[in-house]
Amino acid sequence: MSHEFEPTILAFVCNWCTFTAADLAGTSRMIQQPNLRMVRMMCTGMVDPKYIVKSLLSGADGVLVSGCHPGDCHYINGNYKARRRVKLLNEILPQFGIEKERVKLTWVGASEGNEFAATVNNFINEIRELGPMEARSMAVI
Amino acid sequence: MSRKIGVYVCHCGSNIAGKVDCREVAEFAGGLKDVAVARDYQFMCSDPGQEMIIRDIREYGLDRVVVASCSPRLHEKTFQQACARAGLNPYLMQHCCIREHCSWTTADPVEATVKARHIVEAAVERVADHQKLYSREVAVLPDVMVVGAGIAGIQAALDIAKSGHKVHLVEKSPSIGGHMAQFDKTFPTLDCAACISTPKMVAVSQEPNINLMTWSEVEEVTGFVGNYTVTVMHKPRYVHEDVCTGCGACLEKCPTKAISEFNEGLGVRKAIYRNSPQAVPNTPVIDGTVCKKITKDKCGVCQKICPTGAIDYDMKETREVFHVGSIVLATGYDAMDPTPLREYGFGKYDEVYTALQFERLNNAVGPTEGRIVMKNGEKPESVAIIHCVGSRDRNYHEYCSRTCCMYALKYDHLIKDKVGHDTKVYNFYIDMRCFGKGYEEFYRRVQEEGVTFIRGRPAEIVEEDGKLVVVGEDTLLGVNVRLPVDMVILCTAMEPRPDAVEVARVFGIAQGQDGFFLEEHPKLGPVSTATDGVFLAGTCQGPKDIPDAVSHASGGAAQALALAAKGTVSISPTTSWINPDVCVGCRVCVGLCAYSAIEFDERRNVAVINEAMCKGCGSCAGYCPSGAAQIKHFNETQIFNEIDGLLGMVPGWLPPEAGGAQPVEIPVERAARPEEARHES
Amino acid sequence: MATTAKIMIDGGNPIAAVQDFLRGLMENESIGGVLVPMHLFGKGIPMPTLVTDPKQLSGADPLAPAFPMNSAKLLARLTRGQSGERIAAVMRPCEIRAFVELVKLNQGSLDDVILVGLDCMGAFDNTGYKAFRGDRDPFETTQDFLGRIGNGGADIAQACKACEYPAPENADLVLGLAGADLAGHIPVMASSPRGESLLNGLGLPEAESANGRDKALAAMIETRTANRDEMFERTRAVTGTLTDLSEYLASCVNCYNCRVACPVCYCKECVFNTDVFEHKPWQYMGWAKRKGSLKMPTDTVFYHLTRMAHMSMACVGCGQCSNACPNDIPVMELFRTVAARTQESFDYVPGRSLDEPPPLSVFKEDEFQDAVSHMA
Repeated sequence: MSHEFEPTILAFVCNWCTFTAADLAGTSRMIQQPNLRMVRMMCTGMVDPKYIVKSLLSGADGVLVSGCHPGDCHYINGNYKARRRVKLLNEILPQFGIEKERVKLTWVGASEGNEFAATVNNFINEIRELGPMEARSMAVI
Repeated sequence: MSRKIGVYVCHCGSNIAGKVDCREVAEFAGGLKDVAVARDYQFMCSDPGQEMIIRDIREYGLDRVVVASCSPRLHEKTFQQACARAGLNPYLMQHCCIREHCSWTTADPVEATVKARHIVEAAVERVADHQKLYSREVAVLPDVMVVGAGIAGIQAALDIAKSGHKVHLVEKSPSIGGHMAQFDKTFPTLDCAACISTPKMVAVSQEPNINLMTWSEVEEVTGFVGNYTVTVMHKPRYVHEDVCTGCGACLEKCPTKAISEFNEGLGVRKAIYRNSPQAVPNTPVIDGTVCKKITKDKCGVCQKICPTGAIDYDMKETREVFHVGSIVLATGYDAMDPTPLREYGFGKYDEVYTALQFERLNNAVGPTEGRIVMKNGEKPESVAIIHCVGSRDRNYHEYCSRTCCMYALKYDHLIKDKVGHDTKVYNFYIDMRCFGKGYEEFYRRVQEEGVTFIRGRPAEIVEEDGKLVVVGEDTLLGVNVRLPVDMVILCTAMEPRPDAVEVARVFGIAQGQDGFFLEEHPKLGPVSTATDGVFLAGTCQGPKDIPDAVSHASGGAAQALALAAKGTVSISPTTSWINPDVCVGCRVCVGLCAYSAIEFDERRNVAVINEAMCKGCGSCAGYCPSGAAQIKHFNETQIFNEIDGLLGMVPGWLPPEAGGAQPVEIPVERAARPEEARHES
Repeated sequence: MATTAKIMIDGGNPIAAVQDFLRGLMENESIGGVLVPMHLFGKGIPMPTLVTDPKQLSGADPLAPAFPMNSAKLLARLTRGQSGERIAAVMRPCEIRAFVELVKLNQGSLDDVILVGLDCMGAFDNTGYKAFRGDRDPFETTQDFLGRIGNGGADIAQACKACEYPAPENADLVLGLAGADLAGHIPVMASSPRGESLLNGLGLPEAESANGRDKALAAMIETRTANRDEMFERTRAVTGTLTDLSEYLASCVNCYNCRVACPVCYCKECVFNTDVFEHKPWQYMGWAKRKGSLKMPTDTVFYHLTRMAHMSMACVGCGQCSNACPNDIPVMELFRTVAARTQESFDYVPGRSLDEPPPLSVFKEDEFQDAVSHMA
């Protein structure tokens, strides 16, 4: 297992649940690997598939979308819409060699600091195993 | 266009500076495009820290500000207000977090500093495209509408009316009081339900600030917080309220009968009826579906008898429109119909009753005038009360209906008291929930009255030798039980009303997974909803007993009054906006919006956001393929810039000094979390 | 609907027979105009034309093996609001399917439209049609094409070769060309109540229902499905990685013709034309520095991937995208291959039913749990 490659991961997280969980993980000083950087969204329903595609084409090795558990969405059902959009990308991107495992959707509630830290670390490890995104070295975007 | 960005990297004492090299980050930021000044400082949120920003805005003519410190959930407002004081629109500031998401969670200081640089770079890239935004202040109309006049609606209406504001109280049955008006006694004090509620009901009818409309329903609600337009439909009563004296002569002479809803199907009422002699209002109503005059133009006796000529068979349905500032929903609950639980024989055996039916038996103006008797007129010698019928049951409702244990105890006592102390009374329970003031004491008292408690939900009820046999298990003793009784009472679950889905849509609120209306926050926001200006009172939000319903109602009233008293409400500007030049009118966003905040302009063939109702959740923008719908302060250009900044404009490997070949190994922890099943729908 | 009538063919000229049929339709007062491909000039490709004078139908040729544009877009323009008249539109199955998709997105309406679908034998792409026709009279060209059906066929466009929907669905009237004896008659069927009432009013002779159409259609579908699957395999083999995809799109110059030609790419203003993609010089430089070099223009692969996300579920495989590409990129093959998988995963068939909402416009509480990961 080569450690020369360090993945870069972007996470689109919803303000009310996962972002709060991230705060909680921070306050509880839960150490995480530094490879994951967050983009604050108000709701996972705000995540346009283009954000995920752009991230992957621009140098991200993995993208995480994380929000409230089904039924708990602050805006009632934004997470269900996000689920369909991620499902769609999961059907398109692997056709071009972008493994399904590079784009993941999870639910992390506001009180789940523990789960947030574990999710971050696990995802980073998984992407490290998958290796760098092909697009990193592509001149064509 | 060139910007002048000020970047401030906070040390937060040693919270950030202990891991992140803040000076280096500030220097790095200073080298980014359009950054006019970049500083690092001990405590940015302190007065001197904020003053630093304000001074720089004035001195350098900054038009954008980035603060990198703790979580925006803590201090975004602080820095926004500091900018505002300096004359800079608060939305031209971006607050990014290098503490909770960086210094506190990263082990290696070099890696932490690199991450902080990316986070700051992202904020700098993003803020360059921020636009000025202004919160809107809208006026709040002074009147309040309360929908539902059970005890919760009554309490809310009285509270609001006391403040001087006008209340429009809408009730769909002919008189107010809700389910409480059906009760005989209330636990644990055994107060007579009518005695304690009639003063409130009379107060409602006499309070000049309350516009009471019974036999009416809300048809349509449009508008937004502070400015609701509600259309109320008045069903035809066929009796003029202002002329009728409530003498009751019509009730005696009417020849037509129908099943009595108020008596829960036990017994009949007339075509012209009122729920009880103490009904408020005391005016009867004619059931137009069975009245012979209205359906077949025969009879007409009540009109002839009426001494004041109050009866008018030609009355029609009318509509009235109200403009209110807020709405309190107190639409109540329904008791579950236990017919599907065929094992309990409701509807099959004569002597199986629901709890509400048993209330009516006890009530002095009920079908048996308050005597607990069987249908053959005899007193029961033994009664079994079955708890949790339809509650705590995966097949029907998983939740506990909260009130049944207590009213079962009440029935235990009433039976002993009214029928006789040697009447055998049995409770089949799972747990005894006696949580309130005086409740546990009441439980003890009932136990001392010689009531038997058998722990175990019965399997079925069968008929043998003229008796109802309750077949179950006493789980504490570990024996099977076959108990012959004369009468069985089922403690049926408290359910949301059958029309809860439609009602929720009319008012623009959501239902929880159990069907009751969804509160804003289960712990800290029980009376408000995600829809500003619509509040909840009573059991429509979830099962509760009368004291809790009354408290809940006062809470909802207080929040409605807070809006009305302030007179204005501030709407966040981070709402969606649809560019009419780009929108092609496919209307998908209209269907996706959870708040019905998107209207369609037929003339221009474009969708238009109702800014007052829009919450800025982004569902429309996340779909819109042409990018016509975008959320202000979260538009695509801003997010694209943020992505670019996070990925950095430099290759994504760790810099050599980090010793890039040895990343920190973090052991993977299996975090305990509840199984996914908790959110099955 | 059981009504089947016959369009009698005189003198071995099926085109004239269809023109007569259309004239008959126009005599019905409820029809104010017919949208049908017409040979307007001596040369060129037959273009969809809105005809209100029946005499001018002598130039109509819906049987021509030409397909310059998907008329779903045009019908959408004619039905976005009231025209005051009812239109009969003669359309291929893929055009009807695309139109149904547009109606779902409020870009057109079926209220004042009679859809006359015809069994589609396929068509050439624009260059192919010009080559096939040469200098010949256009109607002769069509007759030649019709004569080759069943005799090895002609080298029609890839999209048509791989199209497994030769029979129109959701039409009001259907011209059952498949398996028809073009020296005898063309069966015409009504598939809706208003189609039925129109057909009854035409006074055409009745036909026996069994006429070999079903067999002919089944054979066509079998061949085309095999072609389709072979196309999928071929395409997947050369687009398995992002690099492969970039190579596939190597000649793409971001002209966006494929988008303009696509009937279900419905935006008025594509997001790639808005300021979201108005990049600044320092951004280009930054990206170029990030990777060492940067192909200009940017957003080529991004554009195609986005288009896949936005409309692959509505792709009806009409092939106009490939037809329109100035640099001969097989866009249709790429999109149909992607669409096959996305449509299957959402169990969505574009154009199948007006009652089927586009998958991203709806959602359920409990679905696609496979899209959710649990990593804690």
